Amino acid sequence: MNASAITIPHDHGHSGGHDDGHHGHVHLQYQPGLPLSRGKLIMWLFLSTEIMFFAALLGSYVVLRFGAPVWPKPHHVHLSEPIGAFNTFVLICSSVTIVLALEAAKASKTGLAKFWMLLTLLLGSLFLGIKAYEYQAKFSHGIYPVHPRGLIYERPDLYYGSAVRARLGEPAIIDRLKDLDETPADQLTAEQRTARTSLQQVRKMVGSPDQQPFDLAVVADQIMPLPTAHVGGDHDGGHNGHARGLNDIFPWLRLPIVIPGGNMWASTYFLLTGFHAVHVAVGLLVFAILLGYTLGPKNAPMIENIGLYWHFVDLVWIFLFPLLYLF
Amino acid sequence: MSDHHDHGPVTRAGETADDALHHAEHGGHDHGHGGLGVYLAVFLALCFLTTMSFLTFTPYWPWRDQPQVGWAFMMAVSCTKALLVVLFFMHVIWEANWKYVLTIPAAMMALFLVIMLIPDVGMRNRMVSQERALHMARPSDVRLMEEAGAARETAAHGAAH
Repeated sequence: MNASAITIPHDHGHSGGHDDGHHGHVHLQYQPGLPLSRGKLIMWLFLSTEIMFFAALLGSYVVLRFGAPVWPKPHHVHLSEPIGAFNTFVLICSSVTIVLALEAAKASKTGLAKFWMLLTLLLGSLFLGIKAYEYQAKFSHGIYPVHPRGLIYERPDLYYGSAVRARLGEPAIIDRLKDLDETPADQLTAEQRTARTSLQQVRKMVGSPDQQPFDLAVVADQIMPLPTAHVGGDHDGGHNGHARGLNDIFPWLRLPIVIPGGNMWASTYFLLTGFHAVHVAVGLLVFAILLGYTLGPKNAPMIENIGLYWHFVDLVWIFLFPLLYLF
Repeated sequence: MSDHHDHGPVTRAGETADDALHHAEHGGHDHGHGGLGVYLAVFLALCFLTTMSFLTFTPYWPWRDQPQVGWAFMMAVSCTKALLVVLFFMHVIWEANWKYVLTIPAAMMALFLVIMLIPDVGMRNRMVSQERALHMARPSDVRLMEEAGAARETAAHGAAH
């Protein structure tokens, strides 16, 4: 595990700290440097670089966020604060369990240490699972960080209008629209009937030669309404304050949507949470490997080091959660 | 914290620094080191603080119309949480003086990095490309969308009554 495995030719003036011990007499050596084990020193050095890595990411986020003329509100981009808060709770719990695993290992309670380690692994997986669910919620609304799949437009302008028209003019969509128009009204739900009427209006509006800016805002609002200001905090309606738009009622439409500031939001959100998720995944991998070891006092330094890393990952989330979900 | 750590671990023949340190850690000063009670208290404090920052999102938060108050509050809460995690879970409070050698420069550089970026907040929209100026969202776009939403809601209410 450390340099003691390397055989160094014996040299009496050597001060490297590694005697082979063949002489049988006690030979005290002074080792200069920080008074901590090499593994821990390396882990702390690594964490200092990580601090700067995430500080740079968070700093850029702050610049982009507060330098932007418009930034979407959390609900505009389908962020759920309770889910984020719950994920924070999950990570805090996993930080406690890894600390308890270390304490158990130090006390030679190997079974207990393994239990806490397994629990940490499960909690970390739960965190990633919830994160995946959240990502899925974004993807299903066409919120991606890049354009070929992403449906986000910044403003309800002519470019947006022509993008909607182009989508409605795709052969596959023309066929489905025709099917929809020919479906007898009694085979549709009330919501679908209303949506069909507004879809017909949308088609007329984007094709109209004398459309006004407000018409395109209406089109965007029909396709994916942004929650209005007063819906903000109260929990009426099961859609997080969202009225359902055409994209929700007819998922096959996938029409372009308008979220002012949404593209930059998506880039920063997926970059920050993505890097954090990668760190979580690496931690989980190490936990899985460590589960194969006997978690006694001999391996306690290993648990301590991965614990340090894990707490750091928790620490990053402690800042990410308010910055991304509550600001 | 302890004197015998200030001069580095003393290694005996056939022993690595890791081993020596391990003996030292288990030799004298293990008392007062963590313990279930401390971890539980920190855990409860962290949960409480998370609830506190979540409070800014609920209708009970009194400064909803001044977001800056909430931001400052949340950053204070986050720093407190971070401090708790670093001090107790990462055992920094019980470590010897080497902790300052590693944490202070890293923290300073991180802080410096963020501060260096702050002027860019003001500069970001000074010079934008024509293409970006064309497609960039403006507050007027948000207003337009809000008006469209309000019109839809009024129409829906009108239809309901």
